[in-house]
Amino acid sequence: MKDLLIAVGQEGREKALSRFLARLLETGAVDGLVVPAEAAPGVITHVLAKDPRLVERSARPLAPVMPLSAAQVVSEVVRTRPSGKVAAVLRPCEGRALVELMKLKQAAPENVVAIGIDCAGTYDPVAYRGAGGNTDGLELREACRVCLNPAPLEDALPGITLGFIGLDDSEGIFVSVHDRLDPAVAAVVDELGLASGEGAGRKRSKAVQALVQERQGAYDAFLNISGISGIEAFARELAACTGCHNCRVACPVCYCKECVFDTDTFEYETGQFLRKAGRKGALKMPSETVLYHLTRMNHMSLSCVGCGQCEQACPADLPLFRLFAMASRRTQEIFGYVPGRSLAEELPFTTFREQELEPR
Amino acid sequence: MGSGEEFEPKIVAFLCNWCTYTGADLAGVSRIQYPPNVRPIRVMCSGSVDPMYILKALLDGADGVLVGGCHPGDCHYVSGNYKARRRLAVLSAILDEFGIDSRRVWFRFISASEGALFAKTVRDMRDALKALGPNPARALWIA
Ligand code: SF4
Ligand code: SF4
Ligand code: FES
Repeated sequence: MKDLLIAVGQEGREKALSRFLARLLETGAVDGLVVPAEAAPGVITHVLAKDPRLVERSARPLAPVMPLSAAQVVSEVVRTRPSGKVAAVLRPCEGRALVELMKLKQAAPENVVAIGIDCAGTYDPVAYRGAGGNTDGLELREACRVCLNPAPLEDALPGITLGFIGLDDSEGIFVSVHDRLDPAVAAVVDELGLASGEGAGRKRSKAVQALVQERQGAYDAFLNISGISGIEAFARELAACTGCHNCRVACPVCYCKECVFDTDTFEYETGQFLRKAGRKGALKMPSETVLYHLTRMNHMSLSCVGCGQCEQACPADLPLFRLFAMASRRTQEIFGYVPGRSLAEELPFTTFREQELEPR
Repeated sequence: MGSGEEFEPKIVAFLCNWCTYTGADLAGVSRIQYPPNVRPIRVMCSGSVDPMYILKALLDGADGVLVGGCHPGDCHYVSGNYKARRRLAVLSAILDEFGIDSRRVWFRFISASEGALFAKTVRDMRDALKALGPNPARALWIA
């Protein structure tokens, strides 16, 4: 691990970062760069950038919105053909989701140069767009307010980490270069002749620790007031669901090409519907709402990174982040599994121990 | 259910073709008595039982779900039963978190020759479900 520092001048932190990123493309150390960019004031989208000038001009590596998890974008670009090296700017939750997708064989690790970046939290992208990119008066998303991972996990995807938590512009941007960073990219960083970032690194670590500690309390309180007493209360939380399935489309770890809930499995005949309605007195339509959500929790909660993208995508504004946080806390603790922590850690459903759980 | 009638739980059973399903058959042909509460569904391996099937049964009318698989080391697909055990542990945690008692879902290893054990399991499960009462999700129209 090498600790360095990018100086921030008049142009500000985001431009300094963009110039650093543009340099990686300019030198040919990477073939492409996945980074958020601004299409119009407040309109943020990911791009796969080739032109370093475009990156300098329009990249928004600090955009305070996450319309889509970069993990999905990266997986789309590097899924099938392991050729070409793509650098990707990844928020902590995006990096962790990408690790899960790599384990699920939805992205090839050897194609990706991870550029992890501290996260100051994100706002609702529609509100941000409506305000023309102004964040005054906007509130951070709930998932971000209680996020326990504001800094990237450096060992999960060995690359470059860019940090600013606890640092102001005059102190620069902290850069941590992993020992296993792609050599061509490491050479580019070397050539930049950046100053040592040890002091800034220590300051940032302390600030990150303090922030996590503060949020831990908020997170625990958040989950404790979430007590749902009984299946009826749970079903009521979800009763406004319109069955659009946007939540799983937006979920970075829900990866099936065809979700069983979009197949004809649930296209019942009239008689079946009527029998079901008869058993219960009435049937909520569209039906299978609770089945859908509980099934998704069974399939994916072990890999849930708590990004809140499901809730952000929901037109009915259902408390999906909270419900998934409740589920994943329980399921992940069974196996001591932390999604996104390490590529070497096996997905719990792909393995087993002979002596564990019940029955034996 | 009228006030005078006794609650008889409905059990949906996903039984592995290579072991418990045959065990249930054996119980039948050897005239080992077991209550009629159980609706057996033959599956090719306990590892093929997606938690979605169990949830569907619980949300659509079952009071309990039994999954029967081969004993450790005997699974025809080597580790289906071990993987089922992990999936069921996850399912149980989620059920308990959101208010369906996970004691409504049983996973048991019962071989083709254990007809008596199958019958006893069904009796025990019926008794346990009677004590728990009807599954609250069963009649819930919003579920
Ligand atoms: S379930 Fe929701 S919070 Fe969890 S990873 Fe998917 S989108 Fe993110
Ligand atoms: S996004 Fe919201 S409305 Fe659409 S399926 Fe998910 S929970 Fe239901
Ligand atoms: S074949 Fe019986 S449990 Fe796998």
